Amino acid sequence: MTGPLPRSEGPARPDEALPPRTSGQARPPSELGRSVLASTFLRSLAIQGSWNYRTMLGGGFAFALLPVLRHIYGSGGSEIERAIARHAVHFNAHPYLAGVALGAAARLEHEGEDPEMISRFKAAVKGPLGGIGDALVWATWLPTTLLLSLAAAWWGLAPLASVALFLILYNAGHLSLRVWAFRVGLAEGKRVGGRLRQADLGHLTETLTRLGAVSLGLVAGALLLSERAFVGGAPFWPVLAAAGFVLGVTGGLRVWRPTALFVVGTIVLLLITQGMF
Amino acid sequence: MTELLALSLLGGILVLDGTSVGQFMVSRPMVAGLLAGWVAGAPVEGFLVGILLEVYLLVSFPVGGSRFPEGGPATVVAVAVAAASPAPGAVAVGVALGLIWGQLAALTVTALRTFNGRLSPEPSGGRLTARQVVGAHLAAIGLDLLRGTAVTAGGLVTGLAALRLAPLWPLGESDTRGFILVGAAVSMGILLRSFGGARKRGLLFATGLGAGALGGAFL
Repeated sequence: MTGPLPRSEGPARPDEALPPRTSGQARPPSELGRSVLASTFLRSLAIQGSWNYRTMLGGGFAFALLPVLRHIYGSGGSEIERAIARHAVHFNAHPYLAGVALGAAARLEHEGEDPEMISRFKAAVKGPLGGIGDALVWATWLPTTLLLSLAAAWWGLAPLASVALFLILYNAGHLSLRVWAFRVGLAEGKRVGGRLRQADLGHLTETLTRLGAVSLGLVAGALLLSERAFVGGAPFWPVLAAAGFVLGVTGGLRVWRPTALFVVGTIVLLLITQGMF
Repeated sequence: MTELLALSLLGGILVLDGTSVGQFMVSRPMVAGLLAGWVAGAPVEGFLVGILLEVYLLVSFPVGGSRFPEGGPATVVAVAVAAASPAPGAVAVGVALGLIWGQLAALTVTALRTFNGRLSPEPSGGRLTARQVVGAHLAAIGLDLLRGTAVTAGGLVTGLAALRLAPLWPLGESDTRGFILVGAAVSMGILLRSFGGARKRGLLFATGLGAGALGGAFL
């Protein structure tokens, strides 16, 4: 893409008008320049910086897109101020996948797309980007990488190595996802829906939950025989822990807070009674 | 005093990583425990407290607008208390305070997010300047850093006062860990449920359990 990108008219649905690109690497609009795109990507790392209940990621989105808007509309004047106001409105998505919308918005602004269409496009993608990201990252990738590192720690891996294992493993996936999301948005514009379907992130999530279940077992097994865990203590602790595990499986997230309260309450009670007698 | 300030600032930085900037997960208890342990002069103890709290907070994720226990400041407080005394009671007091402080920190997240809504500029005549957006955004990040630092400092002061109770703790080191892990096992059960439940993932979990036990026996 060496010349100006073609101006396109079309509906706001992210995958409605054009078929998804089936071959070739994602290519950013070259006219925006590497420094503009790099700056936008780096700013996207802080997209949640001003998260609030009114506009959610809106302010962060406009903050991240500023280098692109300055490149297109210049540093001052009514055009850039209108563009900033358009992008500072309510928006929400998973922070790692928000790059899809950010990249696409950069492309659409660069193409001179109708502002109404860009707003409708952002409204259309925010739900899916939130749901996919939460399931893929928060519910599977993060716990799975944590569990693998915890298992290693309880097997006796040195603290620094355990922490390094987690940070490298987790952030390899994290940063790859951020870069991929931004590039897909830039390359596909409003056709990102098709690319997201092709990527089949749902299947990846399902595979990761399987790995997560194995990793959870690894940690449980390591705890039973680790000197950093149950070894050396009374034999009934692992039995009580098994009962606690069953409680968690059957009760789900609603039993978390009562459990934490019970643990804190028991510690306080033991300290008070010991102090009294 | 210097250590207190350094730990408080560490709490502030970890809070930023938790949501506002980067989310590289340096703020997870496992990592925060080692970092706080280094600052407190007891990295291994810090790490051990961190991995205990990590199991509790395995089900705590920064999902959208939900309120979740904030692991970074919670871990810094827990580690500082645990590292301040060799008594097993210090670990128990530290973990208890960490669990409480994670919840309290979560309340301050809600308050800041509400305030950020007021800080966020309203377009005037359909226009906003770059200065308004950048200013509000950076101010919110700065406030988050201050919030994290203040929350952690409050926890540290409370922790040092609560540390006087530590010698009263009746259990030894191994039994203290065992007791804390009983509560942590509930989080592991919750996680299996979120991975699909015992019926769907039971076999995979059992496979991991066997491999984990073998690894524990031979490594």
